[in-house]
Amino acid sequence: MITASRNSVISGILIALVLLASVPLWANPGWVFVVGFVLVEALFCLSWNLLFGFAGVATFGHAAFFAVGAYLVGWGLRAGESFLLLMLGAGVLGGLGSLLVGLVALRRMTGIHLAVLTLALSEVLYIVIGNTHALGGIDGLASIPRPTIHLGLAEISLESSDAYYWFLLLTCSVFALVLWWLVQSRFGRVLRCIKQDGERAEFIGVNVNRYQLAAFVVAGAVAAVAGGLSAPLTQIVTPAAGYWMHSIQAVLNSLLGGAGFFWGPALGTAIFAGIDFVTRTFAGLSEVVVGGILLVIVLAFPGGVLGFLSTLKSRRDRNADAAANVVETGLKEPAE
Amino acid sequence: MSMQLTFALVNGLTVGMSIFLVAAGLTLVFGILRILNFAHGGFFMIGAYLTFSFLQVLGDGLAQFLLASLAAGVVVAGIGIVTDRIVLRRLKDLDEEYMLIGTFGLLMVCVGAVKLIWGLDYHSVSPPSEVSGILRFGNLIVSKYSLFIVAMGLVVFFALEFAIHRLWIGKIVQSLANDGWMTGLLGLNVPLLFTGVVIVAFALAGLAGGLLLPNQSLSPELGHAYTLNAFIAVIIGGLGNIRGALFASLILGITESMSSFIIPGMPGLAIYVVMIVLLFARPNGLFHRGVS
Repeated sequence: MITASRNSVISGILIALVLLASVPLWANPGWVFVVGFVLVEALFCLSWNLLFGFAGVATFGHAAFFAVGAYLVGWGLRAGESFLLLMLGAGVLGGLGSLLVGLVALRRMTGIHLAVLTLALSEVLYIVIGNTHALGGIDGLASIPRPTIHLGLAEISLESSDAYYWFLLLTCSVFALVLWWLVQSRFGRVLRCIKQDGERAEFIGVNVNRYQLAAFVVAGAVAAVAGGLSAPLTQIVTPAAGYWMHSIQAVLNSLLGGAGFFWGPALGTAIFAGIDFVTRTFAGLSEVVVGGILLVIVLAFPGGVLGFLSTLKSRRDRNADAAANVVETGLKEPAE
Repeated sequence: MSMQLTFALVNGLTVGMSIFLVAAGLTLVFGILRILNFAHGGFFMIGAYLTFSFLQVLGDGLAQFLLASLAAGVVVAGIGIVTDRIVLRRLKDLDEEYMLIGTFGLLMVCVGAVKLIWGLDYHSVSPPSEVSGILRFGNLIVSKYSLFIVAMGLVVFFALEFAIHRLWIGKIVQSLANDGWMTGLLGLNVPLLFTGVVIVAFALAGLAGGLLLPNQSLSPELGHAYTLNAFIAVIIGGLGNIRGALFASLILGITESMSSFIIPGMPGLAIYVVMIVLLFARPNGLFHRGVS
């Protein structure tokens, strides 16, 4: 049963990858840009949900790490630095930043306090960036060039939109798969154990704080990588990348798709992008629709879209099992 | 310099009282229902827009202004009853994170509704003629409207203080905050009391929206801006603590208006720095001793 669902997930991922890779072949450039944007946001949301869905830590300031990566790469590309080095730097800086925040905050705060503290810290970064002249102030850094990657003798130019899209898809997929692997590994299982009951995890000898801190660092680093990827895509970085509404967007996407499922946030990001697209011409309607959907999810389907689907599936399986039992034993009532 | 400081202090007092007017209802809902209502600022904004519409019918004048604000309070309280039935009551038993996210959804619905009903345009309203203009105290110049806001903040504060600490209803509400189950066992109608608290809190939000209307440009962003500040005040003041909310609001207001002295070139930063420091120093609020 488990292998079957795992196989279906893997084949689903492969189909999605092939479809995504073919986008520049049949869609117009505007669409390629939108899909690229969704990919970056999806990676960002996956990194947030590593904390919320698996480690049981809710932060409301995750966009700060995204902004760190975006600004580092945007600023570096304008200065003519090497793109791969900048991406590496973004990951390291994001990881260090979250290590710092995690060391100070994780041990002392939980729940609302942690949520508000992370929100406040991200607002500090937002205001500092918005008022720093070297980073373009409130207007941000514009006309960021698309990079060229130098690999020894080979040179790969990412200047065309399609080339950059494929690079983006490759990088996002690799990072998403690494996160996925991490969640399946022993590390991920320990995190889930902590989420279910931190106190008992502590009892059986798990260093809860260290594990949560590790998840925090990974999440911060991946968010910064997502931010870094966004800079050459949009070719402009503004303080809005680190605004608290961006952090909240990660929360909303993850819950919509299903925070208890690894791929939930990615699905949620895609659905949200669709809702935004359909309601974009009606000012106000999109908020009412999105807000209403959120309320319905929180009140009726806390598992999100994937949670809802899996309930449907398990109900169908149970019916199928019951039917199979009837066939195998030839009895309508199981003999006790 | 000292003139500037005094001016900033008076200004900070006004900002602080504005924050308190929003924070009062927020902390009340948390104290009793244990729900941190992200959408409070949204209902505050609806109150402001309603007052704006009422004023267009009523015209200028302090009495008309107060009447319009009160009417907005009544309407928002009505919305509160519906919201309580449909949403808040069901959120009560969920995890904190889900409450935050659910009420954030509610905030989005408020913002969207405002955009659909009143449009995206910015509006501005000048204070009623009785409280517009300035007063001079020697060299110090204070706008009459500032004094009006401070007075209104004090009225709301003392009304709440009196109701909670001196009236029979306050005793009941306090017992409800301490132990809802036991309160029910003693024969009090707990769901009705919850509804009552929600009505008061939402009425406060609507009223605050009206009273603070002349202070700012009216736009669909108003809800977000006030939500965050009131949120911070409520958390620093200690969740559910009205006195704490007042003190925290004043601290935040004065920090905000002094921020050009404290951290020049970074407007709005000081308020978050103060908040972070206080969160670490006093995570349970300025006056931690349970709900009051």
